[in-house]
Amino acid sequence: MTAEMPLHAGDVNLADEDFFARGEAHALFRILRREAPVHWNPGGELLRGWWDITKYEDVLFVSRHPEIFSSERGIVMFEPVDENQRALASQGNGKMLITMDPPRHVRLRRLINKGFTPRAVAVWEPAIRKITGELLDGVAGKARADFVIDVASQLPLAVICEMMGLEKKDWPLMFQLTNKVLGAGDPEYQTDVPAAQRGTADAARVTNNLGTMQMFGFFAQVLQARRAEVRQDLVSVLVDSEMGGDRLSDEDILWFCFLLILAGNETTRNAISGGLLALSEHPEQKARLLADRALLPSAIEEILRWVSPVTHMARVANDDVEIRGQQVAKGERVVMWYPSVNRDEDVFPEPDRFDVGRSPNEHLAFGIGEHFCLGAGFARLELLVMFDELLRRFPDICLDGPVERLRSTFIGGIKHLPVAFAPN
Amino acid sequence: MRVVVKAELCEGNGKCEAAAPEVFRLGEDDLSRVLVDEVPEALLPRVEQAIRLCPRQALAWVGNEPPARE
Repeated sequence: MTAEMPLHAGDVNLADEDFFARGEAHALFRILRREAPVHWNPGGELLRGWWDITKYEDVLFVSRHPEIFSSERGIVMFEPVDENQRALASQGNGKMLITMDPPRHVRLRRLINKGFTPRAVAVWEPAIRKITGELLDGVAGKARADFVIDVASQLPLAVICEMMGLEKKDWPLMFQLTNKVLGAGDPEYQTDVPAAQRGTADAARVTNNLGTMQMFGFFAQVLQARRAEVRQDLVSVLVDSEMGGDRLSDEDILWFCFLLILAGNETTRNAISGGLLALSEHPEQKARLLADRALLPSAIEEILRWVSPVTHMARVANDDVEIRGQQVAKGERVVMWYPSVNRDEDVFPEPDRFDVGRSPNEHLAFGIGEHFCLGAGFARLELLVMFDELLRRFPDICLDGPVERLRSTFIGGIKHLPVAFAPN
Repeated sequence: MRVVVKAELCEGNGKCEAAAPEVFRLGEDDLSRVLVDEVPEALLPRVEQAIRLCPRQALAWVGNEPPARE
């Protein structure tokens, strides 16, 4: 079913994943920013409604008040009406950093955040450069590649798996399960469901649940191994950690691993592939970057703004609160749309222009405040090294077929990106 | 006016040092430190900017509640 492009805010329904799969969501956000920047998106028989937040200042306000806008009742827009489904959808609430409120969030985050500071990240640069070089070597002789499968997905996957001390033989499984959990709404990943049923909400639910269970099964084995023998990796840090004199429980650690592997490999993948897509669609900007490599850091920030790899985060109001004149009632869900705020006309001059030299560029692709992306430093370094090496070795790289986007309202993903380049 | 870094929140993103290097500096431990007791009048706007830009909301004026939303 293909929905018509709406003309007015009253017709906008951001639950429609097909707009995102077709790369048309910006047209919807533009309507909302203009007509209804805090917009009530009606639910229906299956889903409760929610508020769409599309302006930069309003996302700052929501993000900076975790005492009003809670993460513990779910961070995705979907809240099923059905009680059983709601229980299933909320099983991770309050269990992971990303679904936790202060003060617990602050305490748990401090167990590992020393491994993510600029100095800690910089230590990884030689390893990241080596992995990137090997990936590019792998495609160098071929003249063609699926940039997502062969390159963009592989670097962040390798880095997070190394950080967690996972054996190389398990990395493809992590990729596959990440796609099932975060790409559950896309028929391509609904391989556990009979072909005729793919593309339905049920298929998405089954795919997400199976992916989640398999991930937990996998990490239960990793955890057992680390409890037996502590090593130098993030899982071992968690095994060794205490909070208020208590060790973390197995369940705490498994949810932590679940979050780390997902956040570590799905997001940067899409910034890399989305960045190459943006450069390909703006050849004058690519030429500018090739001619002046000192623009690389600002180009990376522009890629992050342009792509906004995480599409939304939701919060639930702990109290009645007003946002831009709209009354939001206690218990209602607000959804922050990052691609929209990163093209807010009130903040970014000519927001729909891709400009590798844009400055200032205080985008919110990593969020801000209590839940600011812990891995932002890694993401930036992976992007820097990747585009540095890629443009040096394949300056003529270009698109070689249709882009296939992920069908998701949560992740601004690209599944396949065929590219061609002169072999070297 | 005095400004503080909340050490439990700071993760060394360095936005403050970039905005107001006369006032903030990242230490060897990747934590930001305040270099001055009183923020000179001329630097107030840049410290405001640092407070606004800190990704972790780790900076605050001393003795002031966060300003109400305009």
